[in-house]
Amino acid sequence: MSIKINLHWHEWRELTNGQAVVEVSGNTTGQCLKRLLEQFPALDKEIFDKDGELLGYLTIFVNREPAFPEELAKPVKDGDEIHIVPLIAGG
Amino acid sequence: MLTRNEMERYNRQIMIDGFGEEGQEKLKRARVFIAGVGGLSATASTYLAAAGVGVIRIVDHERVELSNLNRQVLHWETDIGRRKVDSATEKLKKLNQGVAIEAVAETITEANISQLVAGFDLIVDAMDNLPTRYLLNKAAIEKNIPFFHGAIYGFEGRAMTIIPGETACLRCVYRGIIPKEKFPVIGVTPAVIGCIQATEVIKYIVGIGKLLTNRLLIYDGLSMKFSEFMVKKDPNCEYCRHLTSKG
Repeated sequence: MSIKINLHWHEWRELTNGQAVVEVSGNTTGQCLKRLLEQFPALDKEIFDKDGELLGYLTIFVNREPAFPEELAKPVKDGDEIHIVPLIAGG
Repeated sequence: MLTRNEMERYNRQIMIDGFGEEGQEKLKRARVFIAGVGGLSATASTYLAAAGVGVIRIVDHERVELSNLNRQVLHWETDIGRRKVDSATEKLKKLNQGVAIEAVAETITEANISQLVAGFDLIVDAMDNLPTRYLLNKAAIEKNIPFFHGAIYGFEGRAMTIIPGETACLRCVYRGIIPKEKFPVIGVTPAVIGCIQATEVIKYIVGIGKLLTNRLLIYDGLSMKFSEFMVKKDPNCEYCRHLTSKG
């Protein structure tokens, strides 16, 4: 079972050995993110707040469709792609 | 009715299939509100003025600083210390005397936003902070004004078009708070996103093409890649849940 997690933020690549796409396994988006953090613990504070909640300016997509409102509980299957997209506000 | 001069000036865009004189007349009658006179606005306002939009209102309370000049290309070295709206108005008028530029040197707030956008057909979100973007989004929904979102950071950009009552709004997608910070940016990034916003505005006014609605466009300049994601109306959205979808 392989799920690809696409990290849409260049600054994170310093924390993932340069990888923009990480392959993990899991049955839900939450499980997959947990596997991602097991590989790259430094990403934790970039994705979750101190209470373990997904940071509010991150949006999770599965196969390019929004995972909201079940962002950490969305079922995924082999071959699916998760995208983590930080929203930005500069102008 | 277009003048002979306008027919010549806009000849190349009038030639576009589906555009025609009718499209140009629509642009001439249009009133566009642009929030902010920074990087996104510099490009968006320049191309909207060049295209012949009838009235452009630009709103920004800041003055030009040296550190603005790497990206806010409507402001030049000689403009440092001037009000941004005055600097931009001067350039846009020189570009196209046929466009009315309304300069408003105010901070956009909850108290004045309704009055500021009243009478305008479209709102371009060229701000540099999320709270004001939320205010604009809310006002656009309340007044049923199409809203053209753009945002940047470094080499990355986002764009989305919002038609109140029909499509997902900004709040359906942006739910959290992004801390206001001094953000990194290279000038080409707001140029790319500002051009996308201007393209969407022109398409909406003229009535051609397919808008960037219910889609979030992500620009990654370092990888030179555009990605597109579907977005959906949030039935519990605090801003737009009361509006019935026609789409």
